[in-house]
Parts: sequence; structure tokens; C-alpha cells
Amino acid sequence: MALLEEPIKEVKVLNNFIGGEWVQSKGEIKDVVNPVTCQTIAKVPISTKDEIDAAVEAAKEAFPDWRTTTPVARARCLFRLKELLEEHFEEVSRIQTQEHGKTIDESRGETRRGIENVEVACGIPTLMQGPFSEDIATGIDEYLIRQPLGVFGIIGPFNFPFMIPLWSAPYAVATGNCVIIKPSSEVPNSQTRLAELVDEAGFPPGVWNVVNGGRTVVNGMLEHPDIEGIAFVGSTPTGRDVIYKRCGETGKRVIAQCGAKNFMVVMPDCNVQRTIPTLMTSFFGNTGQRCLSGTVLCIVGGDKFYNEFLDGVVDTASRIRVGYGLDESIQMGPLRDEQKKKRIIGYIESGIQQGAKLRLDGRKDVKIIGNYPDTCFLGPTIFEEVTPDMKIGREEIFGPVMSVTRAKDLSEAIEMANSSDFGNAHAIFTTNGKNAREFQYRIESGNVGINIGIVAPMAFFPFSGMKDSFFGTLHTQGQEAVRFFTLSKVVIQRWL
Amino acid sequence: MKLNTASEAVSFSMELENESAEFYQDLAQRYAEDKDTFLSFAKENGRNVVQVQRAYYGVITDAIEGCYSFGGIDTDNYCIETTLSQGKSYSDALNMAIALEEKITKYYLDAAEVSKSLMADVPQAFGRIAKKRNERVFKLKSLLGEG
Repeated sequence: MALLEEPIKEVKVLNNFIGGEWVQSKGEIKDVVNPVTCQTIAKVPISTKDEIDAAVEAAKEAFPDWRTTTPVARARCLFRLKELLEEHFEEVSRIQTQEHGKTIDESRGETRRGIENVEVACGIPTLMQGPFSEDIATGIDEYLIRQPLGVFGIIGPFNFPFMIPLWSAPYAVATGNCVIIKPSSEVPNSQTRLAELVDEAGFPPGVWNVVNGGRTVVNGMLEHPDIEGIAFVGSTPTGRDVIYKRCGETGKRVIAQCGAKNFMVVMPDCNVQRTIPTLMTSFFGNTGQRCLSGTVLCIVGGDKFYNEFLDGVVDTASRIRVGYGLDESIQMGPLRDEQKKKRIIGYIESGIQQGAKLRLDGRKDVKIIGNYPDTCFLGPTIFEEVTPDMKIGREEIFGPVMSVTRAKDLSEAIEMANSSDFGNAHAIFTTNGKNAREFQYRIESGNVGINIGIVAPMAFFPFSGMKDSFFGTLHTQGQEAVRFFTLSKVVIQRWL
Repeated sequence: MKLNTASEAVSFSMELENESAEFYQDLAQRYAEDKDTFLSFAKENGRNVVQVQRAYYGVITDAIEGCYSFGGIDTDNYCIETTLSQGKSYSDALNMAIALEEKITKYYLDAAEVSKSLMADVPQAFGRIAKKRNERVFKLKSLLGEG
């Protein structure tokens, strides 16, 4: 099948967007590589401490005026941004596929999710309203005002380069704050394009800034006394031991959304025909590189159901079309880079060494559609007889690897899932309401799926998470994001 | 070609809509007596494209099974004939149009069926278009004198 047109046609050095200007960085320059073709498609600067400091200064300078811009006027900027994003929907989506490797359906899904957060933030005039109680005592009223804090840092991961900064940024600016976004240096192009559209939408200079880079930028954000808080999405070790810890030390607000080990519990009464495609999306969508991916398939029931169900899963997974996501027939793209592939192969080898049974070997049983190097490609991989003491049964793999385990009943399945250190997005597949309710009630998971394999909350719900999957108090998206980005000021008034 | 992904299914729908619109524009030029009917079909095809795109782009998210929703649909089963060779009679042309509408209706119904619990609004949009296409069959048959 013919490829959709690639939007990035020439290699450019990306700039930072600071104070409404595109500024060339003095930092080292790194290649941004398309993981399918292995060709360089852009160059990204690893910005310096001075550059993150300059962005904080620009944001600080913009804050007083932006804070006093009315919520209605701020919402109008977001409405214009929403329109521009719709206009450039396809271009932005294809950029994601070109730089990340995900399929075009996945990229469009990511774009839509990002836009939905802009849409929700457009409701800021009402979202920001505080409650008012008349006559808490005779002649005395009490009410709550939400006020912005200043400058926030947003640190994006590589797996959803466009969408994830939009879980936070629209709410931050809608509530009157200014933001500095640090995109993943592996996949910075869609955030550069987004910032261009932000500029076109008419946000005042300094309200929305982008500083490309790595640890220096992150450390610069964490150490800077004028950054009020950080929204981070990434791995658990970084989120817990670096971001959460240092925000605590420096008195910053923090949202740290981290890793996962999600259990997909399949009951013998599930709708098999509908469940299998859902599991394919869950385990192998985005090539398994997401914190909502299924990672452990826990099949409840006797041998007959187990064998038939697993045979169906293995058969379907073995037929997944792997290749370049700009070919519309492709169902799974490559991993983001060669390092990640090596890391996942390490997990596959450990699974074999620790005695799991390899049913589908993505290292060998994969045919790449199109004439592309196999550098970053790894096919769907399925292990059975996985136990919680094995590395593949316990740790986050972040790749297209399914670990299959068995439980004698729902209770055992829930206990197994709850024994995981993580609690991000467990799900059950059943046609029995009682099973579903028991699962929902007892499972330790911030997001819970019932016949849903990717439990991605809509923009008007918080993106929850528990245990080692989340560090902080309030979450991104919707009302919780509005609260994260505002101070609550309570006024008690009496007129004498 | 066997379909799998939502993107492929939507592209194929657009192909069918665009090709059949061109066919009706051709009919309108050749057969002035029912020009308005054929042009209205061609115009409606444009609205169908918008409807499908709106449903797809509006509902596509990472939470639904975009890459696995249309397994089992083989486009070879829905190939349409749109070339009107010289010397075809008006009734031959109408019969071609009826065959075309039946094929396209079948595509929409089959695609809606396989994706009905996976792709949310898209199968609904397909179902609505299938209904309109089916109404065209009756209209075309009436032009043929069979209605």
C-alpha cells in the first residue's frame, strides 16, 4: 500500500520558543531519527541552564499581564488554538508517526486526545468558579477564589510526544499561569509545531514556552525558585526518586505519572470475539510503549477455555502487520529506538532463562512490511507460565511483550494484580456484572477497565494512578488539573 | 485487499464515494432527463465523505481498537464498475448504478457489523449511509420502471 505523505521533508535544527521568539540554542545538537527508516529527520538542541533560566524569566515577565487577562479572554486564545489544531490535525498526526513510529490511527488518536484537553480547558470561566455560601452566620458570607500561581514546568515523555504535554498545559494557561514545556529530545517535532500554532493563536509572548533538551533542562526546572510546580510523565525511578523527591525538597507542586504493570483479567464468560481485538490494542498498540498497556494477561478458568482463548490470542498476534505507520494497513510500528529494543530483548531473554514458555517470539516471528531495516522493529511476543517472581511478571517492560498467567478464580486474579507494585490501569473482561463490580471494588488501580483494554480517561476526568504509578495528590486533566494549577483562597466577608 | 485498520476502512469509503460521485456526474451529462437525480446523488456522496470523516476523526482515540476494527473485510468483494462504455443504453446505465449501489451498501453494512462494538461512532455513520444508499436503489429502480 502507498505511504501517506511524510510532513517533515528537510532536516532542520529546532529552536527553543522563549518569550514569543524562536531562539537558537547554544547547546549541543542531537539527531532526531525516524525509527522506521533510521534516517535523521531533524536536529534538536540540548539546551543549557542559561536557556531554561531565560525561559523562566520570560514566563515570569508574562505572568502579571496574563494573570489579569480575563478567563473569558484566555479561553478565546484556547478556542483559536483548538481551531488551528483541527485545521492541522492530519499534519500534526503524521509528524508523530514520522518521528515516533506509531501507526497513523494511533497518531490521530493521540492528536484527538490532545485537542480534547484544549476543548475542556476552553470551559475555564466556569471550571475556575469557586463555591459561595451566603449567611454562614447572620450577615456573613464565605466563598472561594481560585488564583494562578505563576510559572509551571511540563516534562513530556517519548511515547506520546504531542498529547501528554496537553494533559497539563491548556489548564495551566487557562487558569492564568505560564508554562515551559520540555519535550522528549527523541521526539520534539510535534511540540515545535504545537508551539507555532500557539503563537498563531495569539497567546501573548512568554505564556507558552518550549525548551528542548535533557537533564540540564529538567534540573534547571527543579532547582529554579520561580517554578511553582512540575507536571511530569515518565518512568517510576525518575518520577519517584528525582521529580517527586526534589519537588518536595524545593516546595513545588508536583504531578508525577509513572510506570505500570497492568493486568488484563479475562473471565471464562467474556465475549471472546470482542475481547481478542481489544487485547491486541492493549498489549501491542503503540508497540507496548504506554503506561496503560496490558502487560499481564491473567486467564481465569479451566484448561479448555485457557487453551482455546490463548490459541486465539497467539494466532491473532502472529498476524499483526508490522511496518511503517504511514502505510494505513500497518497495525504496529517499531520501538522508538534501538536501545529500547535491546532493553526489551533483555527482558525476553530473562523470561526464557527464568522458565517462562515462549509462545510467540517477536525477535524471529516477524515480517516487516516494506523494505525497512529491522533496527528498531520487534514483533509481538507472548510468554505463558509467567509467575510474579519472574522479571517479566513483575517489572514494566514497555514493549510488545505479553506475559500470560492463570488464576483459578476472580479473587485469585485480583490478589495477583494487587500484589504488583504498580496500580495504573487494570482491566477485566467479562459479561457478568457481579464479577465486574467486584473487580472494580477491590482492584488497586487508579484507572479501571471493564471490557476496555486501554483505560484512558477522557479529558474531563482525571488521569488517575496509584501506588508506584503515581506520585503526587492531584492528577492531570479536567477539574483536578484546574485545582493543581490554582491556589484556593477562601474569603469570609462581613459588611458593617 | 484485506482491511484491518480504521484508517484503511475510511480511505476505502472515500474511494467508493468519490468514484461513484464521478460516475453520477458522468450519467448526469449523458442522460439529461434525470440529470437532477444523478447530480443530487453525486452531491450526497460529498456529504457522506464528510460524515465518515467527522465520525472517524471525532472518535479516534488510543482507547479504541482503531488498528483491529475491520478484520475480515476484503475490498475485492466490493469493487464497483464505473466505466460507461460507448453505446450503453440508458437502462444499462441504470442497471450499472443499481449494482454499484448494492455493492456499496453491502460494504457499509458489512464494515459496520464487524466494527460495531469496537469503533463507536464509525459503524453508526456507516449504517446511516447504507440506509441512504439503499433508498437510492429504489429510486434507480423506479427510473428503470421497476419501482
